[in-house]
Amino acid sequence: MAMIPSDRTEATRADREIVRRCRRGEPGAFEELYKRYGSRLYTVAYRMTGSAADAEDLVQDMFLQVYRRLDSFRGEAALGTWLHRLAINTCLDFVRSKQGRRQRMTDTVDDLEALEAPAAGPWRPDAALDRMDLERAIAQLPPSYRRAFLLHDVEGLEHHEIGEALGIAEGTSKSLLFKARTRLRTLLRGREFGGAAQPARAAAAAGEAGRPGER
Amino acid sequence: MERETPADPACGRFAALVHDRVDGTLEPGLREELDAHLRQCPACRALDADLIALRRAAAELPDFTPRAEVWERLSQRLAGEIAARPRHVWTGTRVALAMAATLVVAVSASVWFIRNPAPAPQASAAPSGAPAAGVIQSKDALVQDVDEHLRIADEHYVKAIAGLEQVVKSGESALDPALAATLQKNLGVIDQAITESREAIKTQPNSQLAQTSLFEALRQKVALLEDTVALINVMRKGDQAGAAKILGGLSKS
Repeated sequence: MAMIPSDRTEATRADREIVRRCRRGEPGAFEELYKRYGSRLYTVAYRMTGSAADAEDLVQDMFLQVYRRLDSFRGEAALGTWLHRLAINTCLDFVRSKQGRRQRMTDTVDDLEALEAPAAGPWRPDAALDRMDLERAIAQLPPSYRRAFLLHDVEGLEHHEIGEALGIAEGTSKSLLFKARTRLRTLLRGREFGGAAQPARAAAAAGEAGRPGER
Repeated sequence: MERETPADPACGRFAALVHDRVDGTLEPGLREELDAHLRQCPACRALDADLIALRRAAAELPDFTPRAEVWERLSQRLAGEIAARPRHVWTGTRVALAMAATLVVAVSASVWFIRNPAPAPQASAAPSGAPAAGVIQSKDALVQDVDEHLRIADEHYVKAIAGLEQVVKSGESALDPALAATLQKNLGVIDQAITESREAIKTQPNSQLAQTSLFEALRQKVALLEDTVALINVMRKGDQAGAAKILGGLSKS
């Protein structure tokens, strides 16, 4: 949710205070920092990896990095922005190392599928888009589409920033986003929920093992 | 509800423009052309509505809360990290020590004078009671100020000692057990002196002797802990000569 300016000023002041206390090694200060930003960073990790277990490991790695690097935080960017960048870079390093080869093979197939012309049809016109449906659909995207969509539409990065983060051209980022949205649109129309997405729905009905709690 | 229609081959180009418009990056010169197409193409209108809904929903996705165990594991890893990097504690300890020493030096010289002032001039010499009361008030304020500075100095010493104790605790395994036991015994003697000084200050708040004894004991404790930290560091490096030198100094103190 967007903050109004006075809220933002207050948040900035509170952030500066937490950073100061963490640097002084005050007991409880780092836990406060975690409570303030843990969910945000964990969510980035969970959506980027699609795994609660990986996200739990990653969020710990992120905060250890924060502890090590807090002295280098100069306050030029907001603390939240600094942490967000660190979270995204940590996640990207992780997915690159873990999924590199498998992901490239998947992308080749999915590129072809995404080239299909977008079909027109009914789009849940009278109801807001169900966020659980959206989460499930995002989880079904090929990794490269998912990253582009999450970084742009969910995390709010610009294409040039995504290009830098992923080591791809800005145009490639736009293309991946276009394909991701096209695929999501198809998935959310229910065309694939009856087929390929059935296991995901069954998992959801069975209690969604491994899914984290929502705030 | 938009009626499903076959996609126009020309729609491919307009679809890209719809994405740009939703992202706020559509070139101004293309707006009219896109609007005209949307007016006559239900499929692209549907795409436009879908993407707006998708972007809004994506931006409003809520955060997830990690399980409590995540913080527990993280705090354990942090504890290991802190133990491996005592530099931060040490830096804070040095600052606390410097502040404590400065405060003690700044106020100790004036304590005796304030608490044992020269005889005041005769009250009759003053034209009224107001100036004399003013002098008394000023002296009381000064005493309070000195007490406050000494209290803060005490706090800084306590903080510095806590920092040093943390460093010693994290590296104690590097010391010979017999030596560690001796150091603990010596620290116990100093702690006893600190406790007794504090008790004396409680019963005699104006006793400069008690105040001096307290700060002397605090200084001794700091010195012993500093030597212990130095000893731990040279032991870790395997510097036997350095260790012998520090131990020699310890036996003289």
